[in-house]
Amino acid sequence: MLKPFVIHEPRTPQQASELLNEYGWDATVYAGGTELLVVMKEGLASYAHLINIKTISDIHTIHLTDNDAALRIGAAVTHRAIETSSMIAAHAPLLIEMERSLANVRVRTMGTLAGNLCFAEPHSDPAAVCMAWPGASFELTSTDGVRQVLPDEFFIDLFMTARQENEIMTAIHLPLLPPGMGSAYHKFVLLERPSVSVAAFVSVAGTTIKSAHIAVGSVGPVPYRATAAENMLLGQTPGDEPYRAAAEAAASAADPVGDLYGSVEYKRQLIRVLTRQALQQASERAMGVERL
Amino acid sequence: MLNQKYGVGEKAPRVDGPSKVTGEAKFTADIRLANMLEARVLRSPFPHARIRSIDTSQAEALDGVVAILTGTDLSDIDPYFGHAVRDRPIVAIDAARFAGDPVAVVAAESAHIAAEALELIQIDYEELPAVTTIEAALADGAVRVHDTDALRLGLFHGLGDFKPHDNICYEHHMTRGDVEAVFAEADAIVEGEFRFPAVYQYALETHAATAIWHGADQLEMWANCQHPYLVRAELADMFDLPKANVRLHVPFIGGGFGSKSYTRMEPIAAAMARKAGRPVRVVNSVTESMWTSRRHNMICRMRTAARADGTLLARTAEMWLDTGAYADNGPRVVATAADAAPGPYRWTAYQIDAYGVYTHRSPSGSYRAFGATHLEWIGESQVDQVARKLGMDPLEIRVKNLLKPGEAVRTPGKPMDADLIGDIRKVAEGLEWDKPRPPGVGRGMGIGLLAAGSRPVSTAFARLESEGTVTVMVSTSELGQGARTAMSQIVSQELSIPLSQIRVPDGDTMVTPYDRSTGASRSTTLAGGAVHLAALDLKDQLIAIAASKWQVAGSDIILRDGRAWVGDQSATLSELLFYHFGFSGGELFGRGIVRPEQGQGTYAAGPVFWEVCVGGVEVEVDEETGRIHLRKIVSVADVGTAVNPAMIKGQEMGGAAQGLGNAIFEEMVFSDGQLLNGTMADYRVPKMDDIADEFVSYIVQNEDGPGPYGLKGVGEGILAAMPAAIVNALADIGIHLNELPATPERVWRAIQQSKNV
Ligand SMILES: Cc1cc2nc3c(=O)[nH]c(=O)nc-3n(C[C@H](O)[C@H](O)[C@H](O)COP(=O)(O)OP(=O)(O)OC[C@H]3O[C@@H](n4cnc5c(N)ncnc54)[C@H](O)[C@@H]3O)c2cc1C
Repeated sequence: MLKPFVIHEPRTPQQASELLNEYGWDATVYAGGTELLVVMKEGLASYAHLINIKTISDIHTIHLTDNDAALRIGAAVTHRAIETSSMIAAHAPLLIEMERSLANVRVRTMGTLAGNLCFAEPHSDPAAVCMAWPGASFELTSTDGVRQVLPDEFFIDLFMTARQENEIMTAIHLPLLPPGMGSAYHKFVLLERPSVSVAAFVSVAGTTIKSAHIAVGSVGPVPYRATAAENMLLGQTPGDEPYRAAAEAAASAADPVGDLYGSVEYKRQLIRVLTRQALQQASERAMGVERL
Repeated sequence: MLNQKYGVGEKAPRVDGPSKVTGEAKFTADIRLANMLEARVLRSPFPHARIRSIDTSQAEALDGVVAILTGTDLSDIDPYFGHAVRDRPIVAIDAARFAGDPVAVVAAESAHIAAEALELIQIDYEELPAVTTIEAALADGAVRVHDTDALRLGLFHGLGDFKPHDNICYEHHMTRGDVEAVFAEADAIVEGEFRFPAVYQYALETHAATAIWHGADQLEMWANCQHPYLVRAELADMFDLPKANVRLHVPFIGGGFGSKSYTRMEPIAAAMARKAGRPVRVVNSVTESMWTSRRHNMICRMRTAARADGTLLARTAEMWLDTGAYADNGPRVVATAADAAPGPYRWTAYQIDAYGVYTHRSPSGSYRAFGATHLEWIGESQVDQVARKLGMDPLEIRVKNLLKPGEAVRTPGKPMDADLIGDIRKVAEGLEWDKPRPPGVGRGMGIGLLAAGSRPVSTAFARLESEGTVTVMVSTSELGQGARTAMSQIVSQELSIPLSQIRVPDGDTMVTPYDRSTGASRSTTLAGGAVHLAALDLKDQLIAIAASKWQVAGSDIILRDGRAWVGDQSATLSELLFYHFGFSGGELFGRGIVRPEQGQGTYAAGPVFWEVCVGGVEVEVDEETGRIHLRKIVSVADVGTAVNPAMIKGQEMGGAAQGLGNAIFEEMVFSDGQLLNGTMADYRVPKMDDIADEFVSYIVQNEDGPGPYGLKGVGEGILAAMPAAIVNALADIGIHLNELPATPERVWRAIQQSKNV
């Protein structure tokens, strides 16, 4: 049951940060509320002050930055806005694929991408995708200034990020994929959230794999990069055999625990299957007309 | 649309549809009484603990807390309930017997305050050893869940005399012939051990109850209970009141599926309101409702024997059903499971031994198609196994062995009253059984029986007011099954008036007359039977009035389009009443009583009817992940006569979806007695995408039911058939399972295993 609280409506990220400084542990950032309010209703956390960042004006848009080389997604942008954005469709269609299968339309209509990342739920779809996304970074703003943090540094543990108490995430930066790079995101969902998910970005030049980024989500406290698998693929010719070998490497790099989502053995199997499928699709996209 | 007449057999729109889609419809938790308090329940964190002491002083001191109920407040009433075994106190008295067992209740000015107060109650528990699995409860020297010598039987067990002992709450045995001799001569024998999971009924609306006392001896309640008259009787007994002093209202119910059978939160609300001296409402969370009622998990060992020509000869089954800490409807579930074990076949011999086991887990009760759902998949998978051994077709072996109409099912009892062979052939037709299966696609079918109807006692009034409006007074609870629509159609049929002129109000034990229960697929057959008789009674009276008005014989009068006719003269019902009473007032009452007749009567031998549990599926499986994809579901509703084909199809689809859930998704996971997946994020029910690419639904109308127009109930059968059909379809592609649910991981493991063999 929700306990009473005060909502603050800052106009700028700095004002939001000031409020966080002022109320300390008694305050938290409130975006769509799809996680926060549930946690508060369940009595797992209680805050007397909610800092509603939706009233901050310039974090509601999606636009190109860095000379049109990257997308900037404002922190107040909802999943649904991403899913239906023509800008995203043109420049980062993988995100649309991801969003379409995330939660349900009610949650997507209220919930934000930034809120998902800041909550750092271990079964997050965006966390896995961002972890693999070449050059992705998160913009954190406070009264102390603005900094960019890489996903790898951002996700520390379950429900724990590198964000300081007085920082708000103001944007997500996603560089556009260079020509010759393809991406894919595969997941296995049985319960509300994924049991295992795999994001892969593969560059192919001619018949050679030039780079591979693979992140495996939902099996540990934070998504992990399957670096051994990535390295194995360099210089290989795209095909079932190298993908199976890489998938095997990604599976053995995992350190899953057995829980309601499945046993250790079964989770490894899912990693194997999904990694192979993601690599397959990403490289097809890298080589084909479809650029995703 | 409701202005039309919708007789029996027509796809009438739901009479409660508009009020439900607009949010007008009132459910129990919508009822707000003046001065009402909100109650919250404190529940035991331990599966088994002695309660040394409870200190409520801090909680009482909290502003807004009005009263706190604990076991010590119950000394002036009989605090134990349980319609089968009186083993359950309103709140724990000496000990808590499952993690989630109510220990104290707070009534406060707001739900908020009540919740906060729960945290301030200090309980000194002495944790005790617990038996949290069937195996542990049956082990030598196991801790006893109850002192069975002290247990009394409940008011409505309906199972003859029995006595719980050890951790066995109830046992049921059925024998025919000399089993071992028949097994010794058999050509093919299959055997196995099977496990069925604990599952939750998952009605959208959780359990809720509101109570107000008028003086010390009048209790009035609103509750979402399926069986108001049984709950009333239990409450009257506990609080030592005449039954007539307990008034129970039943507004719309947001789904029951058995979870709201019998007494649930009503005693807590009543006892709390009594202590607080003010009206009290209690509403469960989803997790609390999961702790309140669930389906029995079960272990079953079965053997089936056949002759080389495919004749089924004998079967043995031993089963242990986990009823949890309290018997609830466990004894009836155990008996029904035993009854379902032989399946709908002609046996030379069988031996069935069924046990209800007390454990320190949350209690289990009724759930749509109980017993049949537990057993059909086991029996039917053995029939398929026999067929595989003998190189027979699964359809052929069934056709050879299924009982024919009139053949004895169990003795004593009602002989077979349905065309099972016709039903299974329909399934085959829907599955295109004769066509070759595409590679990787499995097909399976299942058929079973469910003893349906419970006790055939139902009564109804139909009240015709001067304007020609009929109010049907019947105590069937409307829990989404469409009872009010079906009852209205029966009245519409007999009196020839549109649905807009017919009302079926909420159940109210002071006003709507006795009905045994809303469950066991009985309502349209039995309560509907009473409504039918009440409508006929009204019709007779109207015809007599018309005959007197026109001075003709009653047989010359017909009712059509809302009017009585003789030749081309006609009068509305309202005009007939005006004629009868001499002014625009006065009413007529029709009366309908359904009861078990002696001798050759319709309900002389139980069950009221055999509900046929039949269906089929076509599946394919992703070998790498074990995920099952349903290509097709075929359901056959053998209903005698369809009052409303659209609602029957809805029942079939809903039942199939629930059956699918039981078969491949759902399981309440317990660890040391603690429920691990008590929320909808972790407890997986079927979603729209899971149902099937294609749903083929047949309605069989052989007019062979005991109800009016030859109808019989529907709604449970397909649920029981689904796990059977799915398990058989999986076996058809080489995946053999003896434990449900067939989760992707379990299926994947079975595939790995078959590869290793
Ligand atoms: C039913 C359901 C199903 C779901 N299924 C999925 C799924 O399949 N996959 C998946 O990935 N996710 C899923 N989610 C999670 C969903 O994506 C998140 O709930 C949503 O994105 C959170 O965004 P929000 O704006 O509502 O965050 P809020 O609930 O407002 O905030 C979440 C947390 O982040 C903090 N926060 C929010 N924004 C900022 C910011 N800009 N700066 C700093 N801190 C911030 C808040 O303080 C809070 O701690 C599901 C959620 C629900 C309720």
